[in-house]
Amino acid sequence: MKRKIRLKIRRHRPGIRTKPRFETFLLTVDTDSSVLDVLEMIQSGQDPTLLFRRSCHHSSCGTCGMLINGEARLACITRISELKRGIITLEPLPGFPLLGDLAVDMTPFYEDIGERWSYLRGAEERSGTKLPKGIKRFERFENCIECGCCVAACPVSGGESPFMGPAALAALNGELQKVEGEEIEPLLKQAGSERGERLCNRTLACSRVCPTSVYPARHILDLRTRLRGDGQKG
Amino acid sequence: MEHIIIIGGGGAGAALAHDLTLRGFEVSLFEKGELTSGTTGRHHGLLHSGARYAVHDRTAAVECIEENRILRTIAPQSLEQNDGLFVAVSPDDEAYGVSLLEACRASGINVKNLSADRARALEPALTSKVRSALQVPDATIDPWRLAMHFFATARQNGASLHPFCEIRGIDTRGGRVTGVEILDYRTGKTKRVKGDLVVNAAGAWAGRVAALAGIDVPIQPGPGVMIAVEGRVTNMVINRMRPAGEGDIIVPQRGLSILGTSLWLTDDPDDVALPEEHISRIIGNCSLMVPAVGEAPIRSAWSAARPLIRDTGAASPQQISRTFECYDHAVTHGVEGIISLLGGKATTVRAMAEKTADLICRKAGHTIPCRTRTTSLLSWRRFFSAPSGDGPSRRRA
Repeated sequence: MKRKIRLKIRRHRPGIRTKPRFETFLLTVDTDSSVLDVLEMIQSGQDPTLLFRRSCHHSSCGTCGMLINGEARLACITRISELKRGIITLEPLPGFPLLGDLAVDMTPFYEDIGERWSYLRGAEERSGTKLPKGIKRFERFENCIECGCCVAACPVSGGESPFMGPAALAALNGELQKVEGEEIEPLLKQAGSERGERLCNRTLACSRVCPTSVYPARHILDLRTRLRGDGQKG
Repeated sequence: MEHIIIIGGGGAGAALAHDLTLRGFEVSLFEKGELTSGTTGRHHGLLHSGARYAVHDRTAAVECIEENRILRTIAPQSLEQNDGLFVAVSPDDEAYGVSLLEACRASGINVKNLSADRARALEPALTSKVRSALQVPDATIDPWRLAMHFFATARQNGASLHPFCEIRGIDTRGGRVTGVEILDYRTGKTKRVKGDLVVNAAGAWAGRVAALAGIDVPIQPGPGVMIAVEGRVTNMVINRMRPAGEGDIIVPQRGLSILGTSLWLTDDPDDVALPEEHISRIIGNCSLMVPAVGEAPIRSAWSAARPLIRDTGAASPQQISRTFECYDHAVTHGVEGIISLLGGKATTVRAMAEKTADLICRKAGHTIPCRTRTTSLLSWRRFFSAPSGDGPSRRRA
């Protein structure tokens, strides 16, 4: 089904054009199209200078996080038909340095995520499965695609805040499930540091916006329970 | 050392930037969008064992198995190493399986014959109609993270990477390329960059880049449709045991299953339409192998243009070889200082880079051996902390 849509996109080139402004684009699109499809249509048909990040188009790379009508979401899996009629507003993820328009620099996101923390974990067991010869265990990629939506939605993290944020704490808790012995203590120390779980105010926005069901708030609660041993419920 | 300018920030450009910096060259790479925003991020995520090509495209099959083994050692964190199955669901499939088994062995691909019962014990979601299967060393790639491993390492070693910078012109003097004209979309400004050699690694867009130097290259964009459905129903990659065709592969990636793919030919690499009938045919064909994927909700559907090398003699688009070729345009067009890297696929980007860097060394009169076969790549996460040769830091733009 076709629909006429009106998009309001925040345009800004830090250091070049200092004042942010909203620009409106009118298009007729299929309602099955994703917001990313629409951005590509604008870039190829109306304005090649529009900046945004994208890669996989199916929520596996995590590059196209942005605010869609004020909510942190992935452009590639947000369909036009899911959005209420009326103006669609697109803005970059808040709390990250802006590269331009909708593109942000993800450097701060990785600050507290260990470079060596593993990105693979055991795959879910399915009944009757015997492993093929030569394979110790089936493995799969983690659910967290490092898109930054949770960090953008978190009222405590971002900008100059010392809080390491929900993604780093979820990754840390994931890593804790995989390591043994003397590797445990430094991770717990990091989680319990002045930049760690104590700063979470349990708004749960992180879990609400996560596009791949990582539920960072649950990981933070796990860490809190483990660190304080008091089993408070969040 | 010589300054090499790479045009294109996909997998090929990434691997080439890595290879050239290891050999000591000065490298600048320009990509019109974000890094990996073209075909690279969008492929279905198969690390080929080569079995898909073994029967009809032996060259590509041998390239794939060699690179498959190398990538497992240099970038293990971007791969789910769970093997793959070719499954037969009809007598015709089984007949093809006989030649497939033989061709895999002849290509050096480890292959194992499995009974239907054994295949279903490994992967209970397979159809009850499965007749037999072959197990091969396929794996799943995280496409963005594999490319970013190469970029992170190249950047650490001094490569200067410039996303959101589009090439607008190629400067020549006396039949020799001297540099490029770049439009930086972040500043809105155009700048000239001098270089000793330009490598056109723009994949499906290579025709447009070469045309700026008045060169026609035999690139043939070949888009295909992919569909991500909710739910991971297998751990191994599932292929249909029959000649390459529509809807013959299911790649498990995270909690999703990626169904692929179709193929048509176009002159316009941006012509990435999403034909509804392709989606339904692919889902239909894939559910003949794993019925559950036919019932699963669609998370996303998209198209990506393969960078095929034009081959007017191929009986069908699927028969066009998936190998790669470097063209030295001093030889092909009498224009010195520009090379085009065409064809190839995600599995073979390292080999594509090696061959191109070898050619560059020969042209420059250097004998510097390739080291990328055994050099472990840095984590993609390092890309976001690696010291940058890109001028002002991206950190506080």
